[in-house]
Amino acid sequence: MRDRHYKLVATLMFVFLGLWTIISLFPYYFQFITGFKGIEEVNRITPTFWPDEFLWSNLDLVFSDETNVAALLDTLLIASANTALAVFLGSLAGYALARFPRQAGGENMAFWILSNRMFPPVAILLPMFRAFDTVLGSTDNHLSLIILYLVFNMPLATWLMMVFFRDAPRELEEAAYLDGYSPLRAFFKVTLPQVVPGMMSVALLCWIFAWNEYLFANMLVGSNVAVNTIQMPGFVQGAQKLWNLAALFSFVAVLPPVILFMVLRRYMVRGLSLGVVKG
Amino acid sequence: MAQLQIEGLCKGWDFPVIDQMNLTVEEGEFFVVVGPSGIGKTTLLRLIAGLESPNEGRIILGGNDISRLPPYKRPVAMTFESYALYPHLSVFENIASPLRARRLPKREIEQRVMDVARLLKIDQLITRRPAEVSGGQKQRTALGRTLVADPEVFLLDEPISHLDAKIRHELRAQFHTLEALRRVANIYVTHDYAEALSLGDRIGVMGQGGLVQVGTAHEVFEKPQTLFVAEHLGQPSINILDCELSTEDGVLIACHRESSLTLPVAQAHAQQLKRGNASHVSYGIRPQYITVIADGEAVCDSLHVVDCTVSLFEPLGTYAILMAETAGATITALSSPEHRYEQGESIRLGIDTAEAFFFDAVTGKNLVL
Repeated sequence: MRDRHYKLVATLMFVFLGLWTIISLFPYYFQFITGFKGIEEVNRITPTFWPDEFLWSNLDLVFSDETNVAALLDTLLIASANTALAVFLGSLAGYALARFPRQAGGENMAFWILSNRMFPPVAILLPMFRAFDTVLGSTDNHLSLIILYLVFNMPLATWLMMVFFRDAPRELEEAAYLDGYSPLRAFFKVTLPQVVPGMMSVALLCWIFAWNEYLFANMLVGSNVAVNTIQMPGFVQGAQKLWNLAALFSFVAVLPPVILFMVLRRYMVRGLSLGVVKG
Repeated sequence: MAQLQIEGLCKGWDFPVIDQMNLTVEEGEFFVVVGPSGIGKTTLLRLIAGLESPNEGRIILGGNDISRLPPYKRPVAMTFESYALYPHLSVFENIASPLRARRLPKREIEQRVMDVARLLKIDQLITRRPAEVSGGQKQRTALGRTLVADPEVFLLDEPISHLDAKIRHELRAQFHTLEALRRVANIYVTHDYAEALSLGDRIGVMGQGGLVQVGTAHEVFEKPQTLFVAEHLGQPSINILDCELSTEDGVLIACHRESSLTLPVAQAHAQQLKRGNASHVSYGIRPQYITVIADGEAVCDSLHVVDCTVSLFEPLGTYAILMAETAGATITALSSPEHRYEQGESIRLGIDTAEAFFFDAVTGKNLVL
């Protein structure tokens, strides 16, 4: 009796999860097949769920255009540099808040840092543009976005790293001091390795944010430097609306975060459950 | 090579934990601090190591005041109660850590780590991670990490308390034989009195605010200065009876306040007690000085015999603990495990009154030292 009950629940769950998977994957599927359709087929009133013919030449059309390739590479550079900076600075700041709360300003400081993420970004769009334009002379470069995204990623990195460092056993650091390591050396030798899983998940979150950001990129860059989110609308602006190429480009743009997530998933799960289960 | 001196050390948070402590530990001495948990034993070690800073007082090592030095500049090594091994590094790297900190050449590090590992019999495990070795091996790794550092002071915080009995005994023997420990000042903290008595050249019993008594194992066990020391050392712990002293027919006797039990006071003690004019005392007698007297057995004069009823009998292999009621008082005795006593059984216990202690009921001071 219990056995049958269990089987029923398992089956229901399986069906539910299966449906959910199909629903959430469908947009990607549709994006993928649209990318290889001809423009005439895309514009048909009745949508087709399998292309009449796979036009592999669409790939060529997208990537023979250097600006499309450059956009992906620029985004890659900006997201990676920003992530490295955010994780590095966030680790140091988070460590200070976790270990020396009084000297670092305590809970109020930690909360203030986090609160930087609470306002609607659009509220600071123009002031930010003015600030970067004045200081850097021009905003249309990699550096401006690398720095600007710190506004959003630093609070996240600082806050999460603070939580991870709080859970890292303090005694290990003390043992390192007694071994003769200065606080900074002890930090790199002993403390940092304890929080690597957490750091990986922070890096992933930062990287995905920077990879997907549109609002500020649209304002700050565009000619010298373009990122994928502002490159994408280009396919459907103007006289020719190339939905198929837009779909193909965005499908390619979605791949790196997905691959990264799959590679780092192990860390992600461990990192975000850090402090929940202590081993 | 140096002597460790502690002068007027004070440390407290909401309340004083260590109050005006003075202590000198000689080079090569194994000093054991024993005391109940939460009394401040670990705090003392952390002060010496520099992980806490004292509110007042000085810590002097070989003539140099190290009180203001940060921990990484003190020639001090410490093992932690939790071992504090670096989980991401191999046993080898854990032991090598203090040498890496000094940036010694690779060959020297390898040599010294392997020497220590062989000494501690963990040379087969050096490639494993701490999570992959047993509790005893973890402890040896932690000990290896402190040995390899070649410090001037060793601080050992409950190093073997969390191991099972067999390994504990084995490692206790190791502390007796390690040459390296004989060249430096050692402070060993434990809550286990047996460890303390076994290992300590001198033993400091720690109570509220600091060391209550310092002396050899013999001194602290046989001549406790206070009731606290007597209660803390010994297993099962000493019988304490709240007594009133009075004179009957010219002989001093101790009357238990909560029952009708009366015990004669040995001649040697009586004189001292009379001189001190004591009346209200805590009468202490260790369980090993109370023996079961078999039927028909001749009783020697020094034993005071009382009739009892057995209330609990615990055979523990080599000895047994016997708790018995007499005239409303409960006393604990040691007996042989071979004869099993049933609950409610009537027996006779002989109390060796010459071995009794008398503590002032208010101050806890030993009145017959």
